[in-house]
Amino acid sequence: MTDTNKTTTMPTRRNFLRTAALGGAGSAAMLASLNSAARAQSSEPIVIGAPLPITGAVAADGIEFQRGLEMATAEINELGGILGRPLELVVEDTASGGDDLISSAGQRLVDRSNASVLISGYNLGSNTALPEIAADASLIYMHADTVVRHNELIREDPARYWGSFQYDPAEIYYGIGYLDYIKNLVESGQFTPSNNKIAVITGPIAYSINIANAIRENAAEYGFEVSLYESVQAPISEWGPTLAKLREDPPGFIAVTHFFPQDQAQFMLQFMNNPTPSLIYMQYGASLAAFRDIAGDASEGVLYATVIGALQDEIGLGFSEKYLAAFGDNASVNSGGQTYSALHAYAIAAALAGGAGAAYEEEQNRLIADRLRTLIFRSPMGTMRMDPETQSAFCYPSQTNDPSLGMPHIFSQIQNKNENGYIIAPTPYDVAAFKTPSWMG
Amino acid sequence: MEAIFQIIVSGLTLGAMYALGSVGLALTYGTMRMFNMAHGVFMAIGAYGAFFAADVLGLPILLALLGGIVLGGVVGALLHLLVVRFMLDTKDFEINILVATAGVGILLQDLLLKLFGAYPFRQPVQIEGTVELGGVVIPVQSLAILFVGFTLISAIAWGLTRTSFGLSIRATAMNRDAARLMGVNATATYLQVLIIAGMLAGAAGVMISSISTLSPDMGTNPAIRAFVICVVAGLGSVGGAGITALALGLIEAAVQYYIGARFGLPLMLALVVIVLVRRPAGLFGREEVVRS
Repeated sequence: MTDTNKTTTMPTRRNFLRTAALGGAGSAAMLASLNSAARAQSSEPIVIGAPLPITGAVAADGIEFQRGLEMATAEINELGGILGRPLELVVEDTASGGDDLISSAGQRLVDRSNASVLISGYNLGSNTALPEIAADASLIYMHADTVVRHNELIREDPARYWGSFQYDPAEIYYGIGYLDYIKNLVESGQFTPSNNKIAVITGPIAYSINIANAIRENAAEYGFEVSLYESVQAPISEWGPTLAKLREDPPGFIAVTHFFPQDQAQFMLQFMNNPTPSLIYMQYGASLAAFRDIAGDASEGVLYATVIGALQDEIGLGFSEKYLAAFGDNASVNSGGQTYSALHAYAIAAALAGGAGAAYEEEQNRLIADRLRTLIFRSPMGTMRMDPETQSAFCYPSQTNDPSLGMPHIFSQIQNKNENGYIIAPTPYDVAAFKTPSWMG
Repeated sequence: MEAIFQIIVSGLTLGAMYALGSVGLALTYGTMRMFNMAHGVFMAIGAYGAFFAADVLGLPILLALLGGIVLGGVVGALLHLLVVRFMLDTKDFEINILVATAGVGILLQDLLLKLFGAYPFRQPVQIEGTVELGGVVIPVQSLAILFVGFTLISAIAWGLTRTSFGLSIRATAMNRDAARLMGVNATATYLQVLIIAGMLAGAAGVMISSISTLSPDMGTNPAIRAFVICVVAGLGSVGGAGITALALGLIEAAVQYYIGARFGLPLMLALVVIVLVRRPAGLFGREEVVRS
């Protein structure tokens, strides 16, 4: 992938955050301004169709995706909806299932609920079911599946999938980003590993496998050696045999790319019974409150990363405060913020394009798609800016070194089980320094 | 050596949970020729019952565990009183009850979803801490699972073989009409069997959720394994189900260690196919072990 807007100078933290805060406020102001200038096209609500995994293995995320959409819907309606038309949210459960359940949920939203757009966080399955439904109905579909499969799909047939947008970067940046991060951690003297071995533990889903493969294939280039590559089933609760392998040859680093938060929590609980001197990285799941709830004390010290997590700057913290006030302290801003951001971005794009389109209104929905392709939207999760070639968000710092032009790949560490992890990289979003976990001290 | 000990601990923990899940199912089938498709949801109900008792009512964990077990029994009784007893004498009972209990399972799972949501709560009914044995650190909860499994299954085995209540269950299982002629109240026996099966499922649910998490569909995977175990053991063989569960738990843990964690279930299923090809009635089953 190329980045035509890549810059060479890094901004100062203070100036950057000040500009970013203005940008966030500007987005809401822009929508309010467009609404006040417009006459209501009709009083018919615009149906926001949400095919979400609100039950099943990844329900911890699905519940938050729904909450994020509820909050965004309420806020946008307060601003006057989209050009005077209010939004109405309709959710269909994909039950953390495969393409059969995902397709039928998406189809119901189009046929029965007359959805004008489909917005989800992520769903499981092959990640192609909803793009097909959106293409058939000439609809916009926004998701955070975080898969390179989306990019391939758009590249293979851009004429068909013009309406599908992945509003965060693909998972391909995780593996390299992780290796780069731990290399810097060692080279900067912040962490001295017991050895240069990495044990990679992955799950059965393509997202986890792709990240694990990227770590395995590139480890040597970064000076590491993959000493164990283990695939587990999901869900998994008894980690004994896998931990026995780790304890036989303790690695300096453990990377768990299987991302179900409850499974990761069980890993930590059982790992802490007899820990090895290994720095533990957990893919995404540890960013959810459910992980800290279940793992408790065992969650402290764990590193995690996400390419779409709530930032801890003025905009991100403002959102987090509102979100936790609305949904309680055990709500997860990192997942709720995803759909929240997507719906706000859609609302602005639709308003700029002259209004929301219904299913099969290709001309209007193509106008919205054009706006989404060129929109630079500063959300609580960072800047959403689409790569026009793949219709996926650009990644900072992997694709651009300008943090105002890419969704940041943030590394966080849980330092207090009662709080979200602190962002420890990259600059300018870091708010805390890395701490060596207690089991290694 | 440490690794082997770890495999044994993991295998026995898995096996004890599988045994608790499958013995109730085997008992129901052996006595009534009823495959309870809601068995997995019974596990979830027991788990949520214990969670509610400990987390909301603030009861001590032992009382909460008992609460989960009793709730499983109550649901088993309700299943009999509201559904099963009306279908017992119907034609094609075995097929009809399969469909009926599948429907009950979906209903109950949705009810759990409405009551508790899908958030993966941690099960508070568990014992923290570890003990060291032979150089291997063992969670106390794993020992608790073994203890609960062994105690409950031993009690069932004793009850079935040493009490008049067990005699009536065995008699009804062998020939319901003959048992009735001998003065056995078959309807009451069936009710008791479903209560026991529900209690075992409730206990299994509490134990399983203690090393995983609570969710309305948490019983799905354990129930699939329980069905597999019952088929391998021989449908209706209660003792066989217990032994098979422990053996499969150990095999699964060994496969996870020596071959790979992802091969545990696939190889277990392959083993099932091999067993059924060689012994269609299962390892401990006879061609006709239940009532005619």
